[in-house]
This record gives sequence, C-alpha cells and structure tokens, in this order.
Amino acid sequence: MSTGAMTGIKLGLVSCEDCGLLTRPADVHEPGYCPRCGEELVLRRHNAIQRTWALIIAAAVCYIPANLMPVMITNTVTSVEVDTIISGTVLLYMTGSWHLALIVLIASVMIPLAKLAALAYLLVAVQRRSSGDRYDRARLYRLVKFVGRWSMLDVFVITFTVALIQLKPLMSIKPGAGVLFFAAVVVLTMIAAETFDPRLIWDSNSKEDKNDGP
Amino acid sequence: MTDHDDLDNVPQAIAVPKKRKRFSVVWIIPVVAVLVALGIWVQRIMSEGPTITIIFKEATGIEAGKTFVRYKDVHIGLVKTMKLSEDFTKVVVTAKIDKSAKGLIVEDTKFWIEQPRASLSGISGIGTLLSGNYIGLEPGKSKRERRDFAGLEVPPAITFDQPGRRFVLQTNSLGSIGSGAPLYYRQLNVGQVIGYDLAEDGGSIKIEVFVRAPYDKYVTDQTRFWHASGIDVSLGAEGFSVRTQSVLSMLIGGIAFETFISAAEVKPAAEKAVFTLYNDRKAAMAHPETIVTPYVLYPDESLRGLLVGAPVTYLGLPVGEVTAVGLEYKPETEDIRPRVDFVIYLRRLLSHLKDPSSAEEITSSKKERHAFIQGLVNRGFRAQLRSGSLLTGQLYVALDIFPNAAKVKIDWTKTPQELPVVPSGLQDIQNKVNNILAKIEKMPIDAIGEDLRTLLARLDGLLKRAEGEILPDVKKTLEDLQRVLKSTDATLVGKDAQAQQDLREALQEISRAAKAISGLIDYLERNPDALIRGKTQEKSR
Repeated sequence: MSTGAMTGIKLGLVSCEDCGLLTRPADVHEPGYCPRCGEELVLRRHNAIQRTWALIIAAAVCYIPANLMPVMITNTVTSVEVDTIISGTVLLYMTGSWHLALIVLIASVMIPLAKLAALAYLLVAVQRRSSGDRYDRARLYRLVKFVGRWSMLDVFVITFTVALIQLKPLMSIKPGAGVLFFAAVVVLTMIAAETFDPRLIWDSNSKEDKNDGP
Repeated sequence: MTDHDDLDNVPQAIAVPKKRKRFSVVWIIPVVAVLVALGIWVQRIMSEGPTITIIFKEATGIEAGKTFVRYKDVHIGLVKTMKLSEDFTKVVVTAKIDKSAKGLIVEDTKFWIEQPRASLSGISGIGTLLSGNYIGLEPGKSKRERRDFAGLEVPPAITFDQPGRRFVLQTNSLGSIGSGAPLYYRQLNVGQVIGYDLAEDGGSIKIEVFVRAPYDKYVTDQTRFWHASGIDVSLGAEGFSVRTQSVLSMLIGGIAFETFISAAEVKPAAEKAVFTLYNDRKAAMAHPETIVTPYVLYPDESLRGLLVGAPVTYLGLPVGEVTAVGLEYKPETEDIRPRVDFVIYLRRLLSHLKDPSSAEEITSSKKERHAFIQGLVNRGFRAQLRSGSLLTGQLYVALDIFPNAAKVKIDWTKTPQELPVVPSGLQDIQNKVNNILAKIEKMPIDAIGEDLRTLLARLDGLLKRAEGEILPDVKKTLEDLQRVLKSTDATLVGKDAQAQQDLREALQEISRAAKAISGLIDYLERNPDALIRGKTQEKSR
C-alpha cells in the first residue's frame, strides 16, 4: 500500500471501534461518542504509544525476576530441587534432550524477549515516523499478536504439574514466585500488543497527521 | 467503501467536552512491577545470611545446591559450591547459611557430614539413608564470628547443650578405647570418650571424656580411672581372675572410674581436670597409698615364680606388693644373691583392723612405726616366699610370725630396710626333717634298750611260773567243764531226752488249741449273734 492512501482522518471521518459505524467526528481532537452505540470515538487509540510503552516496561521489569527466581520447587524425599527457567533448560540440555531444551529456551526465554523487542521496535519506528518497511512491521505486529496466545504454555505446564504431582510424602511440586512474574510478562506483553494501534504504522510521516498521544 | 457524494449522509458524532489527561494511568503498571521486583530483591538482600566455607577430607554424598546444612533437623543453609582444594587433598564446600541461623556460626562451631554410621556402640544417621547426607553442625560458645571452618570427620559425641563435664585422662596406651567408648561408674554408663590425641611431646595419650550430669559430681580429685576394656584375665599368685564391665565394653572398650573411699576429703574435680588412666582397677585403686614403706628381702633360694606385682600378705591378708625381683652383687663376699623389693601399704594393713584409729600413732610417726616393726621382728616376724598356687607355681611374699626365729636387729639407717627372711618351700621341709632327726638323736635309745631287756626278763619269769603253778589248775577246770556239758547234752539235746519229749507234747497241745480257736472263729463269723445268745441248735443253721 502506498503512503498516500485515503484515510478516515484525511476525509474527516472516524469509524466506531465497537460497532464499526462510520461517523463524522465532532472535532478532530475530540471526536466525541458514537451516535449508534455510545462508544467513545477515537481517531487513533488513546495514548496508544504511551500505554504500550508502560506495559512493555512493566513486562521488561517482570522479565528479570521471572528468569532469576525459581519457577518450580520439587520436593522429593531425598532432596529439594529448585528450578529456574534457565536451570531447567540447562538440565534438559545436560541430560541429552537438546531439542526439548531448545523448545523451552525459545518458548520461555526468547519469545517473550523477542516480543518485547518487537513491540519496542514498532513503537520507536512509529515515534520516529519511519516510513520504511511498513508492510514488514505490520506482519511483525500480526506475528506478535499471534504468538501471544501461545506464550502461556510454560505457565500451563507448571500449573498442571503442580496440580498433578502431589504425592505428598514422596514427592511434591510447588510453583515458585518466578512463575507469577513469567505469567505477568506474558499477560503484559499481550495487553501491550492489544494496546498498540497498528494503524499508527500506516500513518504518514506528514506532520499534520499527528494526533495520537503526546 | 461509499462514494464521496454519500459522505454527507455520515452521521455527526455527539460532542462531549472532556478534559484531556496528559498522563495515562497505565504507567501505574510498570511502577508497581518495579516496586514488586525491587521489594523482592531487597528482601533477598536483607535475608541474605553469611556464606561460609568448610574444608572436608571427603565430601561423601554432598551435592552443590542440594545438600543442606542442618541443626537439630532444621534446614539452616544450603551447599552452594564444592571444589577441591588447591593441593587436591581436601574438599572446599561453600554453603549459604540463613540469616536467622547467623548466630550459630561462631568461632568454635563444628561441622561434619552426617551419614549413616554403624559402630558397635550403635547405629546413627539412619535418616540420612532416605534424606541423603547433610552437613550437621554443633554451635560453639564463642561470640566471635568466623567464616571458614575445618570439618570434622565424625560427629562430636557430645552436643553443646548436654549438661556434664569433660575431663582429660592421660595414659601410655590407648588400648581398645575409641571415640564413643562408654564410661562406667559402678558399671552404670555415665558418659563416653569424646576424643583422644597424642600429647604434644608424643609421650602419652590424652583421652577426653565426658561425664553426663548428674554423674559428673562423682568425679572428684580422688577419683581413679582405669581401662575397663575387654576381658581382663589375670593369672597371678591369687589364682585365676576374670574381670569385665559389660558386654559392650568387652567389645569396644571402655573406661571405669571410682573414687577412693578412704580419701579423707573429696573436692569435685574441675572441668578438664587431668587424671591418670590406669591399666586395671587394681592398679588404679592401689595407688593412692599415702604411706608406702619399701623393704628389701634377700631370700637364699630360687625366685622362680615370683613376679613384680605379686602380693605381700601379713597373716594371709594383702598388705603390699612386690615391686622388683632381681639379683644383687655383694662385693664383700663376692657373691650374687637374690633380691626382692617390695612395699607395704601401712594404710592397707590398718584397713584390716577392726578399729584403724587405735593404731593411729603407728601411722603418724616414723619412729613409732620403726619401733612397732622391730617389736614384731623380735617376736619372730619374718618374710617368707610361699607358693600361692600349686597349679601355677606363682610365689608371693608372706609375712608371718615364726616364734622360734632368732632375734634380728633391723638396720633402720639403710633404705630400704632389710627384713629378715625364713627359707621356704623345700628348704622349709628339709629343715623340719632335720629337726625331727635331731630330736630322734637326742632320745635315750640305750636306756630304752636296757629297760626293754629287764622287762623281757621279767616276762620270762612270769611265764615260767605260769607253766608250773597255773597250768594244772586249768587242766582240772577244763575236765570239770567237759563233764557238765555232757550231762547237759543228755537232758536237753539227746533224742530221748526228757526235755525234748516235753517240748514236743507241748507243741502238739498248742496245735490242737489253735485248731479249736480256728473253728470258733469260723462259727462266730457265720453266727455273730452266738456271742450274745449262745450256740443255737444245729437245725436252725
């Protein structure tokens, strides 16, 4: 698509995000409310960039304890084993199943990190009003949104293991605090991806079009 | 997509004035995240305990990140790393201790690896079979902190909070005593050996023992300790003696102690007081003799069977012991003679008295003592080697009164004093035989022979007279007697003798009477009423 495409903003129109009703905004800066469903109309999502940034930063902060703190505490009769995501990966690799280790590494370490990096890149690109690779950025955004729903795998595995393996005197597994942070990373990045307004990617670099957040 | 012309039909949005927020509330999320993460981090830092290093000889069953440090079965730390020391002889284990247990890690805290141990005194650490080995610790009493420790090879036998006292025993040989060997007081297990080591000069062994409260009060400055190890079999002049404490101490050794009862005043021994460890009870209890008087004997006979330690008895009661057996060269006579050194424990001699205080003056002054012994010697007090047991041939020194012994003056200037000896054994018998022979020699055999001869002459005369005067009378008497016997024969024994016939008739009479009685009894049996009513007619029967 070309940069000079016709947009609702250029035509002085806005579509309701909820019911899709096309309306004429009351004011460019204050589009008002949808006459049909009453939803607040926005030309671009409110403070999308600021919110996304906040969520990304929160996710990045949570990412550190998620990796440093134990996610799983295995109590056996003979010992107590405390595992972080990394130590689990290392253990898998050491015991010879390198492919499993790779999957865990990609799913639990690389993907959250990649998501954070991708969202940050998208935001930076939007803020710098970069006009190149818009199509690629759009694809990247779709990928981030798609991957998001699969990122909870780790959390699911741990929850199931904890629920199933409770052979009290012999062996029991408890979730560590790390898993909470990990879940927080996943949830926060998912929300961040939703908060981000992909339309911003396509907004032209022309100065008069800026009407998203500060 | 609608056409541009239709755009007029697009409805107008409802305008509602609204104040713009410069700052989104969404920023609370990262702030909260940062706060939580920081909080956790700070909490970690705050709860960080000390990291200590312990050097072990071997790290049996220790795994980094899995092995705990435990005190009273509570996890207080975790082994973080383990590596070999620089010279590859030891294992350096670093462990992180919880902050709450920081106070336990002081200068004299001891660490060891708790693992299953089986020894004769018991099995310990069974729990570690399941839980895996762990590092045990015994907190010290010091207030100073310390971070590097040398691990013990075996757990200390005594825990820090166990009441009691430690004592040090000195000995020449360890015997079968090991760490954990029991300590007995009157055969009651009251403590144990907690360690042993060579003294600094290497000349003796120091054994550290622990006596549990309240038994530790029985350890006084007059207490004697001795080996109660194994079975003490001794074959001495006193015969065959076996002494044991308990089956356990027979197997793993042990130490027994007792306080010398006669000790006048006893003070409780101080902590870590040093005692001598004797080889046996006898040695331990024999030692505290306060008055030990040495004597020497020069018996003129074989010393075979006389051993050091053989008892010295007075009238059969033990009063001392032999301290040395040997020979002595006498330059004046150019002679080598046997020499026996022994000691007399005066107190022990007095202990045989019913009322020891009555002999107080003998014990108190040396002069009195000398006078007393000289008095005894004057009355025949002598030493003699005697055979204690025919089976073993062991000798002992017997002090006895030999009333016919010659008077001897003891030379009190010499030390040790020489006691006079009387020969013993075969020599004794020989002397007795000699005595008998001397007595026989002294007998007036000639006179006896003379007397005997006159006696025989008189007897001869008597016999001759008897032949002449008494014999005819005897002959006559015998003839008379024969006559009497013959007449008797005729009246009593002969076939037709009157007496015989009378006797036969009498017997027949009796037989008849017996038959009649038999018939009567028969009848009475059948008719008992006959006794009352008299005999009825034959018909009614």
